Amino acid sequence: MKYETFEDLYSYEALNIAKNILKDGESVTITKNKNKNIIDISSENPDKIFKELMNEALNQQCRIDISKKNFKVSQMIITKALVSALGEEPKSKKRGRK
Amino acid sequence: MTSKKPGKKNTAKNSLDLINIRWRKIKNKFIITNDFGYYLSLNQKEFNDLIYKNKVSEKLKEELISKGFIKTHMDFDDLFSRWKNSNSYLFWGPSLHILVTTLRCNHKCVYCQSQAVGISNDKTDMPTSIAKKSVDIAFYSTAPVLTFEFQGGEPLYNWETVSKAIKYIREKEKNSDKKINISIVSNFSVMDEKKANFLMENEVSICTSLDGPEKLHNKNRIYTQANSYRETIKWLKYFNSMHDNQTNLSYRIFKPSALTTISCDSLKYHKEIIDEFVKNDLNTIFLRPLSPIGFAKKMWNKIGYDSKSFLKFYKDSLNYILSLNKKGIDIKEKTAIMLLNKILNAKDSGFVDLRCPCGAGIGQVAYNHNGEIYTCDEGRMVGWEGEDIFKIGTVKDSYKKIINSLTTKTCAITSNLENQFTCSRCAYRPYCGVCPVINYEAQNNIWGNNISSERCKIFMGIFDIIFELMEDKKNMEIFNLWVEDKKEITV
Repeated sequence: MKYETFEDLYSYEALNIAKNILKDGESVTITKNKNKNIIDISSENPDKIFKELMNEALNQQCRIDISKKNFKVSQMIITKALVSALGEEPKSKKRGRK
Repeated sequence: MTSKKPGKKNTAKNSLDLINIRWRKIKNKFIITNDFGYYLSLNQKEFNDLIYKNKVSEKLKEELISKGFIKTHMDFDDLFSRWKNSNSYLFWGPSLHILVTTLRCNHKCVYCQSQAVGISNDKTDMPTSIAKKSVDIAFYSTAPVLTFEFQGGEPLYNWETVSKAIKYIREKEKNSDKKINISIVSNFSVMDEKKANFLMENEVSICTSLDGPEKLHNKNRIYTQANSYRETIKWLKYFNSMHDNQTNLSYRIFKPSALTTISCDSLKYHKEIIDEFVKNDLNTIFLRPLSPIGFAKKMWNKIGYDSKSFLKFYKDSLNYILSLNKKGIDIKEKTAIMLLNKILNAKDSGFVDLRCPCGAGIGQVAYNHNGEIYTCDEGRMVGWEGEDIFKIGTVKDSYKKIINSLTTKTCAITSNLENQFTCSRCAYRPYCGVCPVINYEAQNNIWGNNISSERCKIFMGIFDIIFELMEDKKNMEIFNLWVEDKKEITV
């Protein structure tokens, strides 16, 4: 059974992550076609798997969206944590004109 | 340089320029929090006035200002100092170093996470050379305080390595400016006076498991060779007595502590479990829910429970503990202490699971008996099941290589609450954390799906219970006493 979703609603990345999390993920094939993603499910109960896939894809898409939105603060926290653990000062970028 | 156009400001008299707030409704109150960890409890009218009318009483306005909720009146010195205190772990490396000195154990606990093996299987004993290499790596950490925790299996089965590693740590401490804590988690079944004296002389804090009254404890902690409960109580009394009667010693003897793991059999006995701790002169109880890891995951249908059942147990327990406190009995609950320290004192309690990012590799490191190094003890257990995805190196690697490993970085990214859409706007964001290992074990996904996560439901529920109890003045007095205690509770 084939299903279609729009790329601007559920990205190819979110769908693929969802596929890998799903128990029945092996029966799912996702292909990108311009602004759409084609989901092919080869199973006895494709509707059930499609619903589970889209439920997880929604979770992943929201996560991807919030990661983009909070990118700056998120990077600052992670960099601070890792650099402190390493015991190194972050290399300062040289600014200004040469 | 181009100058920015000033934003459109609300110039109405008494209007408030609110920062980004997070809120949660608990019964008839609204808890609002901000990034600095400040909170306010508002009633429905105050909340509506603040959000919809943007106008509040002068008293509330002052409170909002003093707690950093108003953009135009921010005391940056105070706010930054508070943020830095509550996120102090971001400024140094791993402080908790867990040495799994053997997997041998004589107990067969129903919820065991540590993948213990039979006592004759000494192939899982950590050689002293690996223990020393692990200690060497730990001393490279940038943390000013290091805690070494000896675990198993039953660590006392590999006494030679444990005792030599303790001596080695104390030797290294002499040439280091770090503060060193050492603890051991034992079921006491092979404890003797010689071992006990060595541990006390080397200032090792002793931690055991006590699941409640004899019948319940022995049902959870199966020990066929003797009575697990009686062994535990015998040695708890011994260490308590040594602690209480220490005089003119050149070393400090710590009060022993005990962990309680709540199985589904425990849920009916909150009073009995707490009374058991009071009876044995233990003034802190740590009511830990089961984690779906290791043996417990396989046995989940028999011993597991849902978040709702645990939260009912936790609420009843906390209410009972508060009622005992009101009668003058000294007993505290460790999860509540950790959360209250964050909420009231902006103090990181050292609990690496409730951090952002979580402590995997950057707050704690687990050294397995064979020299393999994991992000944490839970990550090691996943490795034992055959999926080594939380391994960050071996004792042959350098400290920097371990911290720089892709796994450490991945755990930091996936446990960053700013990357979690439910957490980033949750009212409890300033005090909470996610665990990639539990996400992976329970949901087959290190990012997790917090909407359906039982761990998330448990912590949300515990926060709700604590904030609800904080509305009562008498409870607040008790809670303040719990977090005023300057002595660190070692578990």
